[in-house]
This record gives sequence, structure tokens and C-alpha cells, in this order.
Amino acid sequence: MSITGLGPHGERAAPPSRVSLGPEDVAAACARDFSVAVVLHTVDSDWSRQQLAGISSTLGACGTIISEVVDCGFDTDSQIQALERLKEGPVDAIISIPVANASVADAHATVSRAGKCLVLNDNVPTGLLPERDYKSLISADNFGLGLAGAELLSAHVDNGREIGLLSFEEDFYVINEREISFGRWMKSHRPDLAIRTQRFRSIDEAGSATRKLLSDYPGLAGLFVVWDTPAMQAVELLRAEGRNIPMTTVDLGREAAIELARGEIVVGIAAQQPYKQGVAVAQAVILSLLDHPVPSWVALPGIPVTPEIVVESYQRVWSSTAPPEILEIRSA
Amino acid sequence: MRNQLRSRPNDGVARTLARVLDLVRSQESVTRLQIERTTELGRAIVADRIAALAALGLVDENMLGNATGGRAPRLVRFNRNAASILVATLDQTALGVAMADLAGNLLMEHHEAIDLSASAEVSTNRLMALFEWLLEKRRGGQSVWGLGISLPGPVQTASDDIFLTETPPMATSWGPFPLVETLMAHFEAPVWLQGSVETMTMGELKSSDSERAKNMLFVKIGKRIGAGMVIDGNLYRGSQGAAGLIGQSPMEIYGRMAPLDQVAGSDAIAREGQKSAQNGSSPALEEILDRNGQVTAIDVGQAAQSGDPVSMEIMARSGRMIGRAVAGLANLLNPSTIVLSGSVPQTDDILLAAVREAVYGESHPLVTRDLRISSSRLSSSAGLVGAAMVVVEGIFSPNILRSWVALGSPLDLPEFQRALAIAREAISRRAGVREAEPAPPAVPR
Repeated sequence: MSITGLGPHGERAAPPSRVSLGPEDVAAACARDFSVAVVLHTVDSDWSRQQLAGISSTLGACGTIISEVVDCGFDTDSQIQALERLKEGPVDAIISIPVANASVADAHATVSRAGKCLVLNDNVPTGLLPERDYKSLISADNFGLGLAGAELLSAHVDNGREIGLLSFEEDFYVINEREISFGRWMKSHRPDLAIRTQRFRSIDEAGSATRKLLSDYPGLAGLFVVWDTPAMQAVELLRAEGRNIPMTTVDLGREAAIELARGEIVVGIAAQQPYKQGVAVAQAVILSLLDHPVPSWVALPGIPVTPEIVVESYQRVWSSTAPPEILEIRSA
Repeated sequence: MRNQLRSRPNDGVARTLARVLDLVRSQESVTRLQIERTTELGRAIVADRIAALAALGLVDENMLGNATGGRAPRLVRFNRNAASILVATLDQTALGVAMADLAGNLLMEHHEAIDLSASAEVSTNRLMALFEWLLEKRRGGQSVWGLGISLPGPVQTASDDIFLTETPPMATSWGPFPLVETLMAHFEAPVWLQGSVETMTMGELKSSDSERAKNMLFVKIGKRIGAGMVIDGNLYRGSQGAAGLIGQSPMEIYGRMAPLDQVAGSDAIAREGQKSAQNGSSPALEEILDRNGQVTAIDVGQAAQSGDPVSMEIMARSGRMIGRAVAGLANLLNPSTIVLSGSVPQTDDILLAAVREAVYGESHPLVTRDLRISSSRLSSSAGLVGAAMVVVEGIFSPNILRSWVALGSPLDLPEFQRALAIAREAISRRAGVREAEPAPPAVPR
């Protein structure tokens, strides 16, 4: 897949190859003994674990230690406190996923002003600028993920029906991109479908938001959930209520992949490549610390996955064999 | 409160209200005493005007300043969230939208690819859908006080009216289309249009924390090449708003003269790239042509960045020609900084290097002694910030502010209500004409 979206400031995407490291970069980094802190929105997802694996292995090969991994638990105050502490500490660089927009903008802006190298992952608070406030943003092509989510769902929905869009309340660049592109694809390819949007403020609310969507629109014939963790709550609720509504989502997490293999409710997933994204993030950090220019936006394409190709897609995304449950379901 | 204000002798009250609000807007925060001293208004009048502005939701006094002996003074602050502004930037290949506060700060933005050569209706519908999405997502409940649209070419602004009532001639490929009327009728707010070079220049100026931006040459490189000129902190527009059309400057290429746009703009880069792909001189571009069926200027820029020698030469040639034209302006204006922007410089540093080489080589040493040439950090956000500034200036310029401040909102101005009625009338007339038009003949399959 090519990159279909534009960056947070309208930038054209640079491919991950633009931040690849040569042997001289690795040697130069090893000689400098850098240390890096990683500030994540959550560590409690397969996506985060894979990201961290990509970051750790790449930085490790460059002799760079990860001094701390902060789990913000989607909480803005935790993130602000962590950044304020880290910017005064001994780390050379901070990798951060801003958990919100305006409320965490200042905390991120002060990191660069304190002389630390800041590389953003997945989100840029509005008003922050590359070079001045951060070195680079690394993300998936989230616009493309939303398009893929729409296209995968479309095949399972009859003409003239209502479909649900279950999204996140927080103003988050990657979620906005998925939401907007999902709507754009449907409007241009399936104008017969009416989109009904419901947003949740925290992952814990994803189930109740699904329930509200179902009660407000009992005729719902399809559902797109903006990422896999809340999608699994929606699956649980649909199953409990005995509703078999086709669903698509983003991220090929383990549970989501098992659901996709079953093909009962989850009928398609637009997969990110979190390990490769983690590698690109770490490479951008090393190049920035070595004072090499890096593109302001590096994007990785998504991978549309259907039940038929879930095994090979799992291997591709996770660089490991598919879980036995998936193999069992698919071989049945 | 509105009725109270309306029953007062309006001119004097409105003038002092506008004066106080203008002062509060221009500062981060200000005390009542500072307002009294600066405006030379009496304490009672200042207190009355602040109370009136607070009741209208335009200022608040919720914060305390530093005490200098006695009680800490209350700080009067402009309520920049009293209403919102919707802005967009329409480029040949991209559409950006944002919501901004009344100080022109972007609160949320989105950019996506679009083909502006598609029909005006398709692009406008997309723009409106994205505006609707922003309003729905923010759910702030504030009303929209204005829309600012940044367009690819210069926009003629001949009318003396406070608000646009019809779409002025625009340098787009759309032909006549009631953009202003459509947006105004739908969002029930005034619309301002401005050329993208001007909005982007204003955006760079607002977002820059450097003194250098006060004497800046901003060069946008896309299908067209244009320059925005900031002199002593002010944007120079020219008598028709068409200053800086350097793309019209004649350049010699292969022994003949042609406008810079035609020989160095994104169309020229794409054309050269396509040729190199077709004749096989660039395997990298040939592969892109095979895969995508065409080669764009962005493809050439990315191939150049990845080291393709043919693409590098195409970008360098374009950069040298642009640099020659920019050097002429630099010698004339002696700017502190030159900022390159647009879809082409965004993807490629080689063009920037070539522009630098030409400007440094063809300018007087005094002009280049402390000159900085860089690419824009803001990218397309510059146009959004600038468009927001156009609206802010439109709403809060002293004469306009004086006319609406006692009403609490520019939307309540009779002039706007008249403009809105005209726009609605134009839209319903157009809808009537379209309904009456015979259906196009069926396409044989």
C-alpha cells in the first residue's frame, strides 16, 4: 500500500528508508553512549509491546540504553509530570506519544526548550512545529488505515443501511485521520450508507458506548472501531447481546487476530506495523542525536487483512508465528 | 445586557467598548488600572465597560495578578474561546482545514490530498464535510464568527463592503462558482478569501518567534510560484493584492523565454520527470511511472532525495531558476530571511540548496551577509494560521469592532444579516436554475 494521508502540517510522507542507519551512524552512536526515555500512552496493548520491541532492539544495537519507559495510562497529568521530570534528568532524548492535544502541548514544547531531543510517535499536539519543538513524527498512514477499514467493511453491508463508527473522544491526530478517511471512503463509494458516530472517553467506556449505539440505532448493519482494544470490548458486548454485526478495526492485536480468524464478527482489520514503526522511531532518534536532518513526518503503510490471510499477515506484522488458536481456527 | 447597551447613546459607548476590548486583546492580560492609564478613561467608565464586555462573554476577570503591596489585582483577559473560526487552505493537490480561536490560534487541523482540478462543487462539498466534522468533534457549542479560505492564486478584493456578499474573481480552474455564498449560507457566518501566498506569509509571520520574520521574503513553490513580502513587520500586498507574482518573470530556457511558473514550477518538474521516465534515463522514475501511471513533482522530489541523479538535476535546475528570480527581489528588499514553502520544497532539500546557491551568487554581498534561507517549518499549516489571521483582522479591525461590540457578536450586525440574505438568495436562485436545466442526455453504454 502507498501512503494516502498527509502529515499533521500537510507534509508529504517520507518512507522509513529515509531514516535508515548506516554502519557509520551505528558506530558513532555506540561511541556516544546515549540514553533515551520512552513515554507511552499505554504499555498495555500488543501494539505498544511491539513498538517497544522495535525501539529497544534498534537502540540496543546502537549502544543506546532506554533508561525508563513511562506508562501514562492515557492520562494527561501523568504525561505532563513525566515530561517535566524527564526534561530535567540525564536522558539525551525522549520518545513520546502525546496522549491528548492542547492539554499536553506545552509539556512537550518545553522538552525541546530544555535541550532534549524529542521524537514524537503517532501524534502531534496542534501548534507544535518540527525542528523548533520536535525532530520528527513517526506514524502509520492512519488515513490509509481508515480507508482500508471502510473498504473491508463495505463488502459485508447491504444497501441503504446504517453503520456505526465507534471512536475516541480525545482529539488525537491518528484517530482523527482514521475517522475522517473512513467517512470519506463511505461517502464516495457507499453514499447509500448512513454513518452513526458514538465516541468513548476512555477504553473502559467502549462497551457502554457500543451499547448506546445499538440502542439508538437498532438497525445497525456494520461497525468500524478505531482501534483493536476498544473493538474487543465491542465484540464482547455484541456477543453478549446476541448481535452478529460485521465489524472492522485497526491493529492486528492477538485477540483481534483470533476474532478475525473466526470471521464471525470481525471481518477485516487494517493492520499497522508497530515493530517496524518502533524501529523507525529509534532510527530517527539516533540520527537526530547525531545531528543529521530527519524528515518531519515518516509514515509506514497499513496492511488490509481478511480472515483468509490472517495467518501470513500475523507473521508479517509480528515477525513471529501465529498463535495456535488462529492456526487451529483457520485449519478447521 | 444587549438591550441595556442598545438603549445607551451607542456611538460613545461602542467606541470605548472597542477601545477597551482592543487593548485587552493585544495583551496577554491587563489590570483595570493599566486600562485606565492607557485609555485615559475614568475608573467608573472602565469598570462599566469591563462589566459589559464580561456580560457579553468577551472578557473575563478570573485570574489574579501579582500584588504590589495591597490586594492582588484582578487580571482582565480576552476570552479567545467566545466563538470559533473555521479556516481552510485549498491547494492544487491538498486541502487543509482547521478550527481556530478568536486569537487566531489553531485548535485542531487536518490535511488531505485533493485534486483541485475536479469540479468546484466536489471540492466545496468536501471542504464543508470537513468543517462539519470539526464542529462535531470539538462540540464546544460556540458559534462560528467567520470562515477564512486560502486559495491557490491571488483574490481580487475590490468591494468596499464590510463583508463579502459574492465570490470575487479567483485564480482557480473552477470558473464561476459561488464559494462565498455557499459557505456563508451554510455556516451562517461571514467569509473571507485570500490568496495562499499572502495567507502563508501571514502564518509564517505570526508563528515566528524571530525578529528576522519582520523582513521576510516568503516563496511558495507549486504549480505557480509566488512571493509574499513582509516589510517592517507588515505584509506588502500591492494595489490589487497581486504583489509578488514572480512566477510571471520571464526566464530563458533552451534559448527561448518563458514564465518562471512554466519552466520551474511543479508542472515543469513533473513534465521533466515523466520525460526521463519514458526515455529510460532515470530507472527510479521509470519504476514510478510503471507503478502509478504518471510521475508527479513530488515523486521527482522524493526520488531526488533518495539519490536519483536525474531527479536531482531536475530539482537543482528548477531551484537555480527560482533562485535567480528570488535574488532579484532580495536585492530590492534586503530581507533578513527567505522562507521556501509549497509542495515541492516540502519533499526535497536539493531545490533549497540550489535556490541558496543562486541567491548567494547573484545578490549583493551586503544583502546576503546575514541572510538566512530555509524551508518552512509550518508547511501547509502556515496557510491555515494566515487565514485565521485574515478573519481575526476582519472581525476586530477598529472600525468593524466598533460597529458590533455593543451587540456582542459580529453576526448580529445588520450588514452581515444583509450579506447573508443576499448569499441565501443567490444560492436558492442557483438551485432553481439548476432544477430548471434539462437533464443531460444519457451516455450510451
